[in-house]
Parts: sequence; C-alpha cells; structure tokens
Amino acid sequence: MGILRLSHVAIRTPDIELATAYYSEVLGLVETAREHERVYMKCWDEHQHHSVILEYAPTYGLNRLGFKVQHRSDLDDLAIRLESVGVRTERFGPGELGPGSGETVRFRAPSGHVTELVWGMAQVGNLLPLTNPPPEPLGLVGIHPPRIDHIFLMCEDVDAVTHFYTDILEFRLTEQVLADDGHQLVTFLERTHTPHDIAFITGPNGAFHHVAFWLDDWNEVRRAADMCSYHGIPIDAGPTRHGATRGYGLYFFDPAGNRNEVFTGGYWSDPDREPITWTEAEIGRAVFYYEGVVDHRFMTVHS
Amino acid sequence: MGILRLSHVDITVPDLDLATAYYTDVMGMIEVERTTDRVFFKCWDEEDHHSLAVRYHPRVGIDRFSFKVEEDDDLAEMEARVEAFGFHVDRISRGEEIGQGESIRFATPSGHTMELVKEVEKLGSLVPKVNPLPLPPDLPGIAPPRMDHLLVTAEEVGEATRFYTDVLGFRVTEQLLDGDGHQIGTWMERSHSPHDLAVVSGPNGGLHHFAFWLDAWDDVRRSADILAYHAIQIDVGPTRHGITRGSTIYFFDPMGTRNEVFTGGYRPDPDFPTITWTEDNIGKAIFYYEGELNERFMKVHT
Repeated sequence: MGILRLSHVAIRTPDIELATAYYSEVLGLVETAREHERVYMKCWDEHQHHSVILEYAPTYGLNRLGFKVQHRSDLDDLAIRLESVGVRTERFGPGELGPGSGETVRFRAPSGHVTELVWGMAQVGNLLPLTNPPPEPLGLVGIHPPRIDHIFLMCEDVDAVTHFYTDILEFRLTEQVLADDGHQLVTFLERTHTPHDIAFITGPNGAFHHVAFWLDDWNEVRRAADMCSYHGIPIDAGPTRHGATRGYGLYFFDPAGNRNEVFTGGYWSDPDREPITWTEAEIGRAVFYYEGVVDHRFMTVHS
Repeated sequence: MGILRLSHVDITVPDLDLATAYYTDVMGMIEVERTTDRVFFKCWDEEDHHSLAVRYHPRVGIDRFSFKVEEDDDLAEMEARVEAFGFHVDRISRGEEIGQGESIRFATPSGHTMELVKEVEKLGSLVPKVNPLPLPPDLPGIAPPRMDHLLVTAEEVGEATRFYTDVLGFRVTEQLLDGDGHQIGTWMERSHSPHDLAVVSGPNGGLHHFAFWLDAWDDVRRSADILAYHAIQIDVGPTRHGITRGSTIYFFDPMGTRNEVFTGGYRPDPDFPTITWTEDNIGKAIFYYEGELNERFMKVHT
C-alpha cells in the first residue's frame, strides 16, 4: 500500500554522449532505450525499464525523481491527498512520458522538486533467467550496482518538507540532525524499512545533492573507489562510514558534476522504531563517522 | 498493512543453562528475561523484547514461530481470514505471554503453531537514540544485529504455501520443483527480501533452521572462526546459495537445533516474477559452490 521505493531519477547533462559513456562504462548501468536527447538506463538486477534517465540540457541538475507505488489505486489516493493540501497534480497514461513509462502522477513538492508517482512501468527483466539463475551475470563492466537505492535533495525549509513527506506521502522519519535552535538541518525518510529512501539537507530549493546506488558490501565500495580512480572520476569523499544510517559510502561526480554515491549497510527499521537524533555539534560524525568533520564541498556543492 | 517480518521463534531445549551459554557467548545474543523454565533472548540491534525464546523440555523441537504485523486491525483481519480457511484461532491477551501484547495463535497446514503479534514490549537496541555509535563495542560472539528468517518442513509444500500466500499474504520469490512440477521447496517474503519464511519437503511440524542476519560476507567468515574456536559443529559453509543468492553458514546449537547466519540476497518488489529451480539443479540451488547437497542437510531437522 502506498509508496514502495525510489523508482527513477531524470538527470540533466550538457553532453549526453559523455554522460552515457560514464553511466554505462564506469557506473556500469545498462542502456534500455534512447530517444532524441534522452537515454534510459537501469541497473543489472532491476526488472523495471529504467531507474536513470539522462536528459540533454545546457546545465546540470535534477529534472525529476519518481517513486514506485504498490497498487494502481495508490495513484488516485495520493493525488487526492496532494490536491487537498493545494498541490496541483498532472496525470499521464502508460507510455505517455516515454519508453517504458507507467501511469504517472506528477507534482511539484514543496522542496521545489518535480516528483512523480508511478505504477506499472514496463518490466524488461533483470539480466538473469527466471529458471535456475546464477547469482549474478558474468561480464558486467564498471561498478555495476544491482539497483538504485536513495536520493538526497536540498531545500530551504527542511522541517516543512519533512512534514509534507511524512503527513501526505506517509514516509517515516528514521534520523534527523537538529540545529541548536531545534530546527531540522537534515532528515532521513524511508518507505522500505531501510535507513532512507530520500533525505533532505538545508540548501536551495530544487537542488540535487546526490543519487545513491546500492552495493552488496563494504568490499564492493572499495572496488568502486578503484574503478573511479582508474577512470579519473573525481572522488568527493570516502570510502568511509556514515554515523547517520550506519552505511558505508563513496561519493563522486559524474562528468557533468552531478554527485553520485555508492552505498551499503544500514539497518532494518520497523515502522514503530523511534527516530535517531544527531545534535549540530555532532554533524561531522553524523555524516562522516571516521573523519568526524564534514568538508565545505560536501555541504555546499550541489547540482 | 499485514505481516511485517519474523518476530520470534520459540524452541525447546533439554538444558536451559547450556542453551543460554551458547546463545549468549557464542551467538552473542542478549538474555532479556528468565523464568523457571524459559529464557528469552534478543539481538543487539533489535528493539523488541525478544526474537528467540527457549523452553525446557526433554526433547529438542519447535513450539511456535511468530510474525509481527504492522497495524492494530491486522490481527482481526488475519483472524477472520484464518477462520474462514477453516482453522481455529486462539486470542492471546496482553500480559498472558512474556514481552508481548494482544496476539493470535493458530495451527497451519504445515503442522506448525504460528502466532501473529502487533505489540511487543520495547527494550530498545544497545545504541542510544541521540548521536549513536554504528554498533556497540566489545560485543561477544557472532553478535548478529537481528533475526532474519526461518525454514520449516511440511509433507505437502504446495498446500502449505497456498495457506501462507492466499490467507496470510506472503509472496513466493523462488520455488523448487520436482520432475512432475510439484513444489518441493518454496521461499516467501513480506519484508521485500528473498525470504522471511521457507518451506521444504519433510514431516509436518518440523524446524529445519532459523537464521540470523549479518551485514557482510566477511562477517560470515568471522562467524566460522568463532564457531570453530568454540568447537560448534558446522553443518555446511561458508558458502553461497543459488536460491536467495545469500551467503551462509549452517551449524547446530549444542542441543541439535540448526542455526544459520545469512547475508546478501536482493530486494524483490511485490510484482516481480517468481524464480523457478528444477530438481536436476537442486545442488546449485541450495549450495551454489558445491553443487550438491549432503544427506545431513536434507534429513536432519528438529
């Protein structure tokens, strides 16, 4: 019932060929469709048509993010809730938004991000057979994460946006960083019983901090750092550990300057688990547990 | 809505002190409560009262297994569904069972006693809610963060599976079919993981194993070191499963109940297709590296 998980992100890039080369050969995603000025990609273990859309634009940043809902009726229920608090929604039929797209409700969240709810995206299968499959395909290139994991966005009023996400979209707060005056600097929200499917940090509305892809363990994070170095990809931070989420992460930039993360670890979160609070004095450990300090670039650079 | 995850497993043991020593010092669980004939344990990151209860009995076995539901009205809805299926349901009131609130209990077609619970007394995990460490230092033993799943045996796997899916809302992620197309093993989930509950062919009412979650393959290796140090009998592994893709070790507690430590797997959406394994690939399905099963793994259960 309701939102299941992060479905897809549509990322702006001024050089679609370079971006496609990076996302397929370095990150190791699979291209599933191509249109004029738009390339659709998925991770190897994803059954659905796409989790990343690269879109030509003269600049970088995030065009849209999408969540998958469990039932078709969830689209109607959530659209009514959104309209009831004055958020205008647009409805699109299957295929109307491009190859593989499902039925979609689109709206602009109070954080300024264009957000979609999707049901019935085309399934193209993962790269394994459904009978006697090996645990993973051979010959994958690059980092090749099995799936998209979460997204991290910026907004001016984290308290208000978090309320919108919990009250209207029924996300649950798992962790928060509180400023000394009590307002929320950072919040982590989940639908999948993981530490986060989406997070917000104080910054300009509409800004994109990073999208993260799942890896199966810490050794894979180390291997991802090897891959980034080999290809000359600028590493922003890591490999390191987060205090918030307990996960292991490595941050790096795609050729346009959009931040990517590979992530593993975390914990299971029941819906009745009480949120964890980090105080402003401990924000360094909350973000980078080993270093204990957050650098200026991580807090301010976004796309 | 509906069942969330495995809450706890209740087993019988002929020696409470030996069981307590093993589940605390070797497995690294925390003893949370003790009565004259029962001891309750939880893993360090679990907030609920217990995930394992052992009861004194001359014979090793399973009393019941319990799943946690998400909403208050799930219990009434599940009670109605199980009764409509033709099975009697008992209500357990708050205070009747240690550590848990209102619950329902019933027999399943696989011959097990199953329980659904909404409210469990919260003890909290071993890390604080303000500026927590990622894990508590100096935990003894294997110290898994939480319980993960269990595997039970049933004479009619297909019939048992239909009860868990049609009545209780589990989803089949993978199935093992014999040459005639009958299900001889099924893996079912509620938590968007490869399995919370699995059923394989065997006597009704049997427990094959219950499994604890570990965060990574390296933790599985470290568990093997700890088991060998304590001279615990390893059944199989460290190895990998074809089914679930998980990495694993099976071993026996000192009284003979099989335990597993497990990591890996994948995250199925509810609309993902079921994976099928054929009997001629059963070796790889269960033990991907070895490609064959041992007799003990197939026959020994409690």
